Amino acid sequence: MEGFLADHKSHLGMVSLEVPLISNLPVWSNIALIRQYHENMPWEEAKTQALDLLQRFGMAAAAEKRNPSLTAEERFCIMLIRAAMVRDAVVVLDRPFRIFPDLPDGRFFTDSLRKVDDLVAEAHIFDYNWEKERYGATDDAED
Amino acid sequence: MITIIENIGKVSLSKILPLRGTLQFATRVFLNLFDRRTYNSASRMVFIHQFYFTSVQILPLFLFVAVIFGFLINGMAFQVVKNLGLSEYFGRLLMGFVVTELSPFVTVLLIALRSSSAINAEIAVMKVNRELNTLESFRIDLIHYLFIPRILNGMLSMVLLTSLFALVVLFIGLLVSSLVFGTSVDAYIDTLLHSADLLDIVILLIKCATFGFFITMIPIRLGLNASQDLTSIPVAVLNGMVKVFLAIVTIEVLSSIVRFI
Repeated sequence: MEGFLADHKSHLGMVSLEVPLISNLPVWSNIALIRQYHENMPWEEAKTQALDLLQRFGMAAAAEKRNPSLTAEERFCIMLIRAAMVRDAVVVLDRPFRIFPDLPDGRFFTDSLRKVDDLVAEAHIFDYNWEKERYGATDDAED
Repeated sequence: MITIIENIGKVSLSKILPLRGTLQFATRVFLNLFDRRTYNSASRMVFIHQFYFTSVQILPLFLFVAVIFGFLINGMAFQVVKNLGLSEYFGRLLMGFVVTELSPFVTVLLIALRSSSAINAEIAVMKVNRELNTLESFRIDLIHYLFIPRILNGMLSMVLLTSLFALVVLFIGLLVSSLVFGTSVDAYIDTLLHSADLLDIVILLIKCATFGFFITMIPIRLGLNASQDLTSIPVAVLNGMVKVFLAIVTIEVLSSIVRFI
C-alpha cells in the first residue's frame, strides 16, 4: 500500500482514520480547504462547491458542524468528499470499516463512491484480508 | 576533572542545540514570508480568523487595561514632574517612556498571555490528533497554511495594538495635563511633537514586529514538540510559555541597548 500511495502522492485523496478531519474547522471548511489552498479558489466559491457536494449526500445540515459532533456515517462521507476535492483524485479508502464499523457490508462505501464519480479519477479500497467477505469479494484481496 | 568538563559540555549542548533549532526554524519561516505561494485563499482565511481572535476579541479588555494604565502612569508622571519643577521634560517622559517602552511591553504581555498560549495548545492538540498528518497527506504546507498566517497576525497585531495603547495613554495624558496644568490641546500636541524622535519610533515599530514574530513562532515550534500522547500537551505549553517570556526579556534588553548605547 505504501508504494501505491507514494506513486500517486500528487493526486492522492485519503479517506482514513489516520487522516482525520481538522477539528477546529467546520465541515464545509475542511472540504473547501483543498481547493482554496491548491487552486487559490476564493472561499465563497469553494464553500458553494462544498455545500453542493454535501447536498449530494443529504448532509447540507452538517456543514457547520465540527468533527467531534459528527456521526460515523457523516464523518466517512465528509472525508470522502474532501478526498474528492483533490483535482483528478486518486481516492484511497484505507480500512473504511474502522471509520464506520457498524456496517454489515461494504455496499455503503461503493454507493458513496458512485456519488462523487464525476470528480474521481480512480478509487481504491485497501482493507484486511479477513474483511473481503464484507465486500463480497471472491478473489484474494490485498492485506 | 574530565567528567566535570564533560558534564558542563553536555549541559551547554542541551541548551544550545534547541536554541539553534529554534533559530533555524525562525529562518525558514522568515524566508517563507516572501514566498508568493504562502498567500493563497486558505492562508488568507486563517490570517483573518487569527487577526479577529488576537486583535478584535481582545479589544474590550485591552482598552480597559490601557485606560487604567493611562490614568495611573499619567497621574504619577504629572505629580512627579510638577513636584520637581521639570514640566518641560513632561513630553519627553511621555514619548520616551510611555509610548516607546511601556506600550509595547504591556501589549506583548497581554498578547502572549492570551494568544501565544492558545497557539501553543492548538498546535500541540493538532499534533496529538494527527491533524498535521492530514495537512501533509493533502500536500498542504504547514509553514504556508498554519504558521505564517499566525506569525504575520502576531506582527501586525503587535504594531496595531501598541499604537492603540499609546494613543489611549496620550489621550488620557491630554485630559490629565489640562486638569493639572491647564494645558491647551495645541500646546500638548506641540510638546509631544517636539519630544518625538523618528529613530525612537522606527525602533519601536521594529521592536513590536520582532515581539510579534517571536511570541507566535516560539509557541508554534514548541507545540510541534508534543508527542502522540495527550499528557505532552501541557508540557509543550509550559515550555513554550517559558521560552516566550525569555524571548520578550531578550528583545526588550536588545532594543534598549540599541536605543540607549
